Amino acid sequence: MAKYLIKRIGRSFLTLALIICIVFILMRQMPIEGYFQNFDKLTDAQIQAGLKEQGLLDPMPVQIVHFFRDMFQGDFGVSHSYRVNVPVTEILKDKLPVSIKLGSLSILVAMCLGIPLGTLMARYKGKFFDKFGTLFIVFIQAVPAAVYFLFIQMYGTTLLKIPLLFNPDNWRSWILPVISMSLGNIAYYGMWLRRYMVDESNKDYVSLARAKGANGNRVMFRHIFRNAFVPMVQYLPSSFLNTVIGSIYVESLYSIPGMGGLLVTVIKDNDNNMVQAIVLLYATVGVIGLLLGDIMMTVLDPRISLGKKEGGR
Amino acid sequence: MKKKLLTMVLSAAMVLTMLAGCGGDQAAGASGSGESQSAGASGSGEEQPADGSGSGDSMYRVLYSSEVSSLNYLTTATTNEYQIGANVIDTLVEYDNFSNLQPGLATDWSYDEASLTWTFTLREGQKWIDHTGAPVADVTAQDFVDAMAYVLDPANNSATAGNLFGTIKNAEEYYNGLAGEEGAAKIDFSEVGVKAVDATTLQYTLANECPYFLSMLTYVCFMPAYGPQLAEQGTNFATTADTMYYCGAYYISAFEPQVQMILTKNPNNWDAEHVYIDAIQRTYNAEADTIGAEMAKRGEIDQTTLGSDIVDAWMSDPATSSMVSMQRPKIDFDYFYCFNFNVHKLNEDFYRDGMTGYSIDEKYEPQNWEIAVNNENFRQSIMHAINRTSTVYISTGDYADPANYIQNTITPAGFAVDEETGKDYTEQEAFADIVSKDFFDAAAAVSYKEAAMEELAAQGVTFPVKTLVRYNPTTTNWEEECVVLEQQLEGVLGTDYIDVIVEAGPADSFLTDVRRSSDYMLLLCNWGADYADPETWTDPFYQSANGDGTYNRGMRYAYMAYAIEDNTASADTVKEYFALVEAAKAITDDTAARYAAFAEAESYLIEHALAVPYGVTVSDFVVSRLNPWEGQYAAFGVSNLRYKGQKLYDAPVSMEEFEKSAAEHK
Amino acid sequence: MFSFKDKLSKNLEEAAEAKVRSEAEKIAGISDRELFSFAEYDEKEAEKTGYSNYSYWGSTVRMFFKNKGAVAVLLLMLAILLFTFIQPHLPGQFDPNTVNNDPATYMAMRNVPPNETFLFGTNNIGQDLWARIWAGTRTSILIGFAVALIEAAVGITMGVLWGYLRKLDFFFTELYNVLDNIPQTIILILVAYILSPSVKTLIFAMSLTGWIGMARFIRNQILIIRDRDYNLASRCLGTPTRRLVMKNLLPYLVSVIMLRMALSVPGAIGNEVFVTYIGLGLPTSTPSLGNLIDAGRAVMMNVSQRYQLIYPTVILSIVTISFYIVGNAFSDAADPKNHK
Repeated sequence: MAKYLIKRIGRSFLTLALIICIVFILMRQMPIEGYFQNFDKLTDAQIQAGLKEQGLLDPMPVQIVHFFRDMFQGDFGVSHSYRVNVPVTEILKDKLPVSIKLGSLSILVAMCLGIPLGTLMARYKGKFFDKFGTLFIVFIQAVPAAVYFLFIQMYGTTLLKIPLLFNPDNWRSWILPVISMSLGNIAYYGMWLRRYMVDESNKDYVSLARAKGANGNRVMFRHIFRNAFVPMVQYLPSSFLNTVIGSIYVESLYSIPGMGGLLVTVIKDNDNNMVQAIVLLYATVGVIGLLLGDIMMTVLDPRISLGKKEGGR
Repeated sequence: MKKKLLTMVLSAAMVLTMLAGCGGDQAAGASGSGESQSAGASGSGEEQPADGSGSGDSMYRVLYSSEVSSLNYLTTATTNEYQIGANVIDTLVEYDNFSNLQPGLATDWSYDEASLTWTFTLREGQKWIDHTGAPVADVTAQDFVDAMAYVLDPANNSATAGNLFGTIKNAEEYYNGLAGEEGAAKIDFSEVGVKAVDATTLQYTLANECPYFLSMLTYVCFMPAYGPQLAEQGTNFATTADTMYYCGAYYISAFEPQVQMILTKNPNNWDAEHVYIDAIQRTYNAEADTIGAEMAKRGEIDQTTLGSDIVDAWMSDPATSSMVSMQRPKIDFDYFYCFNFNVHKLNEDFYRDGMTGYSIDEKYEPQNWEIAVNNENFRQSIMHAINRTSTVYISTGDYADPANYIQNTITPAGFAVDEETGKDYTEQEAFADIVSKDFFDAAAAVSYKEAAMEELAAQGVTFPVKTLVRYNPTTTNWEEECVVLEQQLEGVLGTDYIDVIVEAGPADSFLTDVRRSSDYMLLLCNWGADYADPETWTDPFYQSANGDGTYNRGMRYAYMAYAIEDNTASADTVKEYFALVEAAKAITDDTAARYAAFAEAESYLIEHALAVPYGVTVSDFVVSRLNPWEGQYAAFGVSNLRYKGQKLYDAPVSMEEFEKSAAEHK
Repeated sequence: MFSFKDKLSKNLEEAAEAKVRSEAEKIAGISDRELFSFAEYDEKEAEKTGYSNYSYWGSTVRMFFKNKGAVAVLLLMLAILLFTFIQPHLPGQFDPNTVNNDPATYMAMRNVPPNETFLFGTNNIGQDLWARIWAGTRTSILIGFAVALIEAAVGITMGVLWGYLRKLDFFFTELYNVLDNIPQTIILILVAYILSPSVKTLIFAMSLTGWIGMARFIRNQILIIRDRDYNLASRCLGTPTRRLVMKNLLPYLVSVIMLRMALSVPGAIGNEVFVTYIGLGLPTSTPSLGNLIDAGRAVMMNVSQRYQLIYPTVILSIVTISFYIVGNAFSDAADPKNHK
């Protein structure tokens, strides 16, 4: 197991390096306007001088090596257009905590509501609760978030008698954004958990357990839930990442200064250093999430044996 | 390179708002929105400026969806960022709300006989303050010199450095020397035409006589900056609120990018008594366009723009109709259709040298277009088939009159007035025929079409002529206007004659990829004035000869000079236009004659359909607790972005009040 | 349109079975020629009894039709899909892009509330919303189906390879890590730079990374099932990998694959809405549910104009919901354990 872990982690680093190189090369294909604040007004001499100064006229491998060198010193360069000349790390330092806080809260809420929802729906399959839950899931799936988020904000704020915009010091203004962000995950967890549990409940061991006379709830939670939860687990780390990236709607609507729309903004601005750093950040979280997901699956279900892989066949 | 500014401004300005109908048409604007008046009549009129009550601090709250990328007013060239500099830094001179020049940081000025050396006396006792409002140092003449040295240092990448070239003596030479440009000798900064004679005496030496020099002083590149801080911060200058000092009506007391910015009144400012709003709170919201209106309705913000799509609903609801007013029209920016005279690939410097092939995809038959566009009847047919009223209507809606925003000249009405005669530039004799008529004339368009078809068929042009129209998908309403344009052209002229193809350009680098690279056939272009002289409106079109039969690439607009270089059917027309511009530029001592000559050239341009005047930017409808007519105003520079002089009213200004103020400014 | 999807699944299944059959024939052919001639009749009989008269697809369809609600939704969905395509050919329809001018004033008829002429009203420049919505539905559904098909086809193939061939695990995991961690927005924007935004571009960009999700899903399922006892037993008996995959694994996964496919259609439609939201969507001359909803959002707080948001949203929701319900019902029906 330990050997496997080490190997696995080593590979994660390799993945990161690959991602960095690919994104780096992709970004260099973008128009050079992204390297300047006021490209439109610069003379050709200024542009050439600027490119040279930023090392963009060097051959690609040299640029990549420089990037890695600076990266290991914690230097991701400065932003070119998002916030001119401000170090990238400085910008992210302010934004990251906000998104993490909001994302964690919403995942927490989603788990607290989504898992019971899915379990109960599976438990009472075909009954009222199942139908009600399905209705909810269907609604969340069907209506674009861009639409119902707006309704939640407009009417929610009237209901709670709070201003439209987010104010971190007022606990009531956390309610709407967190709920908005968790709705999708509640539906997602509920839907898949129900699906897996229903699949699981048709299996022979369940029939056996029932035949043995175990009571319904016990079978539901001890047997079915545990097994159905296994494939769910690997989604948890990445659903956190998706929540943070997907918070763009909510963060935009409520003026929450998080990471949500940042990536889109900087890509559109061609702020290449920013893009590079954010992609790296997301990729790191993603790669770790994949690793964690696999490990958690192995831990929860001993039948899954990734460790054997090295033995090969 | 100042042109690019304008083009950048295009997107920025549209979001930001403003603009619109030329001065002369303002009265018409009043009648255009008559329907609103009855609805808005009640309840208004009792409003008093909030500061009048003495009830303490007045805070003006707005949302913004486009963050400034820098606070550095010495390097930026976007309207968005000008707004910050304009409010926190004072200029030597400024304008009042009637566009009259007033003393600013300078109390007094004079110039020598040749009007090449200008001497300014600075106001005494002005302080630089930091982001906490604490005084740091005196504002001295040296601060203007240091700021200019900063602007002219290529290392700082100032986007406005070009505005100093050709105006301030040796500015361009100094810049090129530092940039290591080929053949440019390094010269010392002391040779540049700016000097601090003593702490309160500042002297500029100009490269050429410049009748509009004072108007230029309201530009960001003439703003001062505290020298020792510039030296200390270098490129870090003004990246945050605490890496710059302030001397204007406000200082930035808080700046969290993509969160908020708070401007607090500077009590030390010389003119603090005319700064009525104590603080300005700008809150970032990427969805400002969507939720701004609702927030303004709930009174959570004090100003927002209403898109033309929701104005109807606001105006027809008695509860909201009295909250709607408009932006003050802006007259330094306008639009016109360019025909593309170059269909050949251009190299990185936007020259044809060494390039083969077409700049436009061959499926659009660029070679066919090249012949057609050089036929005057063809251009005339398009010019007369465009019904500007219905395209402008997309932006105005029912509550503003499109006629107020349509222009038959390139130079906006009200932009330049001959001070001796009091006559507006667009009232010049040369324009008499042009300004009075509506270009849209289906019958005329069809007869031009018939003439063009006959001539062009003889030249081997195939019909319908494919006409590629491009737009930037991020610009509000542009696509819709193109859809309507296509319907008009094909409707009036027939699909046997013209096949309009509307295609989106890239959102980023639109101008580089489309206009400068000649990847279009017909394009709505825009231009903003750089100074108070009609010459500025020839910049997009005029290209100077290099003396070897080729022409300077000019401002990378329509590349009309290629009509001459390629010896096309329009060669003589373009040559004549260039000659007229050159003749006008040569007149520097007689304003009346100069204006008349420029008008001559401009009317020639329009009469021969080398470009089609379109109009000024449509004023946005707004909900605002400010009366825009109380703020500083000028057709150029940053004056109209200032909050100084504006009062915060208890309720949004109504259309009635807006028009009342507008009438006072007539 | 649904039958199209159905057909695809059937094709897949048939192809799979055909392969298995030929495999079996090969084995049979090589091993026992003599025996074959000897006991031809008995062998066939034995095969038949081994299969019983249970037909997987027959049962699935039967189970599905037992679910009356799902059948109703399926019919509704088919009706909408059908209507989407015949609408432009009906008499009296407006062109979705033509700005309708008032014949008297030549001015565009903007924001006209729904009436007899304009069933869904007009938008802020005077285009007929009814025509735009159906044109938009057409665009969006086209994108949805194309993406779902590409994802399923590529994803299943790759997923099976990934899960079953340990030698490929490294390669695929690496590919997945890379693809999954380059945010889709970057891919979309890059594609938008290279090609201008169009339906093809969006399909291309969405499927470029979308299949890997399906592949990973299949792979994980296979990891779970691969080492189950019946598969171990099968392997011990020397069953070839391909046969194992086709016979032991894929049928087991059909229900979940169907659900995923049914969900990836509305998923792609939703993605299109998102892409429009961040400003990279289709030009409005190509109406799509995404850009219609985006335009409607701006006027949402004006009750008189809210129809511009409601109609496209309702259509989108109906399409999405039907896919969800039909997909769910079908995957329930496709689960052999539910075949009673």
